[in-house]
Amino acid sequence: MWVFVLGDLIIFGTYFVIFMVERSWHRDVFLESQRHLNLGLGAVNTLVLLTSSRFVAQGVRAARRNDNAHAVRLVLGGGLCGVLFLAIKSYEWASEIAAGHTLATNTFFTFYFMLTGVHLFHVVLGLVILGVVVADLKNPELRRVSTVEAGATYWHLVDLLWVVIFALFYVLR
Amino acid sequence: MTVAAKPDLTEVDPDRYRPRNKTDLTVCWWIIPIFYNFFGLIFVLLARVMPPQRADRNPDQIAAFFHAHTVTIQIGFCLLMVVIGGSGIANGLVAFQMKRMSVSPVFAYAYIAALAVGALPGCLMAAFSFLTATFRPDRDPQILALLYDIGFLSFVGSLGCFTTQYLVLALAILLDKNNIFPRWMAYVTIWQIVTEVLAAPVFVVKAGPFAWNGSISFYQGTVIFVVYEVCIIYLLKKAIERQPLGERIPD
Repeated sequence: MWVFVLGDLIIFGTYFVIFMVERSWHRDVFLESQRHLNLGLGAVNTLVLLTSSRFVAQGVRAARRNDNAHAVRLVLGGGLCGVLFLAIKSYEWASEIAAGHTLATNTFFTFYFMLTGVHLFHVVLGLVILGVVVADLKNPELRRVSTVEAGATYWHLVDLLWVVIFALFYVLR
Repeated sequence: MTVAAKPDLTEVDPDRYRPRNKTDLTVCWWIIPIFYNFFGLIFVLLARVMPPQRADRNPDQIAAFFHAHTVTIQIGFCLLMVVIGGSGIANGLVAFQMKRMSVSPVFAYAYIAALAVGALPGCLMAAFSFLTATFRPDRDPQILALLYDIGFLSFVGSLGCFTTQYLVLALAILLDKNNIFPRWMAYVTIWQIVTEVLAAPVFVVKAGPFAWNGSISFYQGTVIFVVYEVCIIYLLKKAIERQPLGERIPD
């Protein structure tokens, strides 16, 4: 899993560098477009994902203690937060599109939709992985702490990427 | 790995393919790196499709492009028409190894089918539109611009078939218990899905990182594609070497 995490960080790192370069070239457009993003919703989503990461981290601890029923509940809690993130993000996208901001509006919104979209793909993949973790925890034959840890590592990556996206797209002035 | 304890090579089983030696597989394997070298030579040096030309050119500049490169485009894409079948052999060998995995053969069928559909927009449409443009280069520049756009939009923007191909390969590797390919190859394959999806804006953007010649839509995706191809070609070689003689391949 660490191969995937480190490689993914390099790929996203490149996207962030290209974003910053484009931003320095078209500073006015980027700042003007950024005002149309909903900072409040972005902040709520950040809290939702951080909470989910905390659930998953506690789930790993419970699994290490062999407290599997508790670990299952915690990982499911993390997954529910992930679903909530998807719902909030869908609402945010819908309101941006309703306000006339689409992929074709300008480079900022192309970046916004593509990078949050690829991040959403990672969230969905993360939900599948958390599902595998829950299934493994429930099955005494498949149960292994290393699976839970690998799933948690991936989920923290999803969280970390979102924090950087939130900082670059919503907050940075 | 599935270990056939002592393969009984004398047993006659006409219903199943059981390799007695690996000559056929090795021949197929060697075709892959040779084909991809031709592929790179044609698309990069001869046809000038890679790296892509600018997306924001006007029709007169596009006509000038076709006039300047008529001969190399014709040599390149005519050569492609001769060697294009090599991609079928490459995909067949991957699908064959997928059938050795402990997953349903539907993964291998989906892999072949997705690539069979993808070859048309991902490769042949670009070749035919460029060959059509250079066949009568004295056409109206507006028509040449149309062929130029069709060529590049289909070449860079053909996403869905390839994301499906990568998805079924990644899933098959992750679910496989026979360790035909290592798990990290599934991760490399998932990165391919990510870079394919990020090329989606080529249909609406004419300049910048998301245009068809952009740093994200084209360059980063291509770097990761080359990494992917080198890995899969190397791992196919390893898989063939480790494949036991006489192994039963599921139908």
